[in-house]
Amino acid sequence: MTTSSSPALVLDDASAAFGATTALDGVTGSVPRGGSVALIGPNGAGKTTLIRAIVGAVPLVRGRIEVLGTTPKLARGRVAYVPQADSLDAQFPIDALSVALMGRYRKIGWIRRAGAADRVAAHDALARVGLDDLAKTRFGAMSGGQRQRVLLARAIAQEAELLLLDEPFNGVDSLTTDLVVDVLAQLRADGAAVVMSTHDLAVAHLTCDDACLLNTHQVAVGPIRDTLTPGRLQHAYGHGAIVLADGATFVSTR
Amino acid sequence: MRAVIDALHSPLFRRALLEATLVGVLAGVVGVHVAMRRMSFFVVALSHGTFPGVVAASLVGVSLFAGGVAAAALMIVAVVLVGRTRALDDTSSIGVVLAGAFAVGVLMLSASPGQSRDLSAFLVGQVLAVTNQDIVLTVVVGVALLGVLTLLHKELVGAAFDPAAFSALGYSTIALDVVVMAVAAVALVTAIPAVGTILAVALLTVPAVAARQCTDRLVLLTPIAALIGGASAVVGLAASAAFGIAGGAAIALTTVAAFAICFLGRRVLTFYAVPRVGTARSQE
Amino acid sequence: MRGLLVEPFQSGFMARALIEVVLLGVIGAAVGVHVLLRRLTFLTEALQHTVFPGIAIAFALETSLLLGALVAAAVTVVMLVGLARDDRVNVDAALAVMTVAFFALGVAVVSHRSGYAADLNQLLFGRILGVGVREVVETAAIGAAIVATLAVLHKELVLVAFDRVQASALGYRVDVLDIVLNAAVALAVVASVRAVGSVLVVGFVVTPAAAARLVTKSVGAAVFVGAGLAAVSGWIALSVSYDASVHRDVSLAPGATVVVGFEIVFVVVAIAVAGRNRFVRRRAALA
Repeated sequence: MTTSSSPALVLDDASAAFGATTALDGVTGSVPRGGSVALIGPNGAGKTTLIRAIVGAVPLVRGRIEVLGTTPKLARGRVAYVPQADSLDAQFPIDALSVALMGRYRKIGWIRRAGAADRVAAHDALARVGLDDLAKTRFGAMSGGQRQRVLLARAIAQEAELLLLDEPFNGVDSLTTDLVVDVLAQLRADGAAVVMSTHDLAVAHLTCDDACLLNTHQVAVGPIRDTLTPGRLQHAYGHGAIVLADGATFVSTR
Repeated sequence: MRAVIDALHSPLFRRALLEATLVGVLAGVVGVHVAMRRMSFFVVALSHGTFPGVVAASLVGVSLFAGGVAAAALMIVAVVLVGRTRALDDTSSIGVVLAGAFAVGVLMLSASPGQSRDLSAFLVGQVLAVTNQDIVLTVVVGVALLGVLTLLHKELVGAAFDPAAFSALGYSTIALDVVVMAVAAVALVTAIPAVGTILAVALLTVPAVAARQCTDRLVLLTPIAALIGGASAVVGLAASAAFGIAGGAAIALTTVAAFAICFLGRRVLTFYAVPRVGTARSQE
Repeated sequence: MRGLLVEPFQSGFMARALIEVVLLGVIGAAVGVHVLLRRLTFLTEALQHTVFPGIAIAFALETSLLLGALVAAAVTVVMLVGLARDDRVNVDAALAVMTVAFFALGVAVVSHRSGYAADLNQLLFGRILGVGVREVVETAAIGAAIVATLAVLHKELVLVAFDRVQASALGYRVDVLDIVLNAAVALAVVASVRAVGSVLVVGFVVTPAAAARLVTKSVGAAVFVGAGLAAVSGWIALSVSYDASVHRDVSLAPGATVVVGFEIVFVVVAIAVAGRNRFVRRRAALA
């Protein structure tokens, strides 16, 4: 039986492979309710694979993942996945409100149409990301930052207990970055846990308590200040990591 | 014009007109989902994939519809299986499967002694040979398919828009994909014996793309696509009677003409339109 | 074995058919590897249908089918670039519209003549056993041009396929390289269409290359493996088709037999690779 006291996410030696290639090797750690972890690592380090494994879309070859006290597949519906806005079809004929409404679909159920209460919830979610006045605008006609906020609104409307965000700050404006950081803090205060992959170490420090440093295998995991040390970043990124004199670290995404 | 009016006196032609219009409306609606998922290539592939089934059915002497449906089901399974190996992306695996399916069909046809090697009926159909039974089948299948699409509307749209998030939400996106594939396949197979492959593919792909030129709104897309599909059937059949060209080809060319009108029409309108202020982009 | 694989080709038309199949197999693999890398399968499928009206019109006017196919392919590529640029017509939709439009036009042209069924069948399925010396020479010339172009631009084409942004940052004209590749695909389709008809070309381009992709790690190796697989399986398939027709009284269309041969090779390779991956993973899980 799942209870709200079980951790949001438990990883135990989680490993995944595509064909004969290992994509993720022995990742271990846990995220409490209301907790947050940043997945840091170079491209191809397995961040996206890990997120996909948490939603049960990638089978594990070894180890175990427990989501909200149960298996990834059974936890579906209580988990929200927020993709990069750029990865979606910009020509798709759909408006912002309809995207936010998708978060309610499981509550609405098969066959039935969205009711007044669902519409209110979707409007509220859009208002929380500052976009209610653009509810009828086509998703593809919005800016990158606005699209990212619409996708976050969908997760809010879903009332998800665990949010998985894939590079939410990639190529968005600073207004969006500030807003997303605020909204994530509010959601966490309400008990939702957050897992996000990012290259932006500054925002990772603002948003997350913990960090998990990946390079196919797990380089380090723990409180973000102790985990993202210049030495470890260099280990994960190779020579792509540039350490500045004052201890701040820039990481090139290449 | 004279030829068209003469043709209208013939019950064969009137039945053909009814069948083509029904198929046009049905395929227009299904086509909206095909276009939304960028599945046009899959539909083209399916049209080839049903070929061995239709050939086998005509050799054995069972219903072409059943043969086509069986072959289409096999093809959907094969595409999913080859896709699951992850070694090939979707388009490549569809290509491998469609090439094989078509070659097998040609082989079976060539190996069957005494069989007419005439493939033109498969390509352009025999719209004037439509029977009342065919029309009843089209109506029944059409109602069933439109029912499925209506009942699952929000799930199908959502899974097409963002499959990854939708599976996190707890939906089986593969199952929803297969629903659309199956709906497209059944629509295709219903259409092929009467109106041929080219026309079936044309009606399943072109009207929806044409409708997309006219609107950004999903609610309007479906009726406009249905209208273009149905109207193309009527105009195309009339042209076929007037100019003596194959019915399937004439209707297909009419859908393309409808697309060209919508495509160019939108360009002309946007060129002369007053720029609107206050759009989403200008707020950045 | 000798009776099956060598003797059929002592007659001139079978020898020419074999050379044509091997040439097309090699061209198909060379182009096909790039087609798979860039996900251009639908383009290939569309081109084999869109050259059809060119062939049909050339046939009706009794001029060179090659010329007709070339003109139609050129028109296709130009219109496609124009359509796909539009923000409400994606490539998938544009290809569907073009395929339907051109193919229907071809059928309309053919159907306007009386007794069109026989013509249509010949144009659709080609006449691999009817290729003349001149056609073989033309295929060889087109093939040499395609293979030379792909070889010279090999590393640039692979770079663009892997990382377009990086390629243009390095100063390459990515759009020009795209056009060169599309032209190579179009030429390969044009060369194949006369011999194998307007519906089996995709099998020549995609299938051997796909099998090769499964067992090779580099693009260059895939070209050689694909060409080898295509040549050998094409030879065997042609022999089987001949044997069945002459000795067993079962008529097997040669073009289709060759494509089915390619497909069998693909399935065998795919199953072998899947088995090996399962073995490797199980060993890794135990370690």
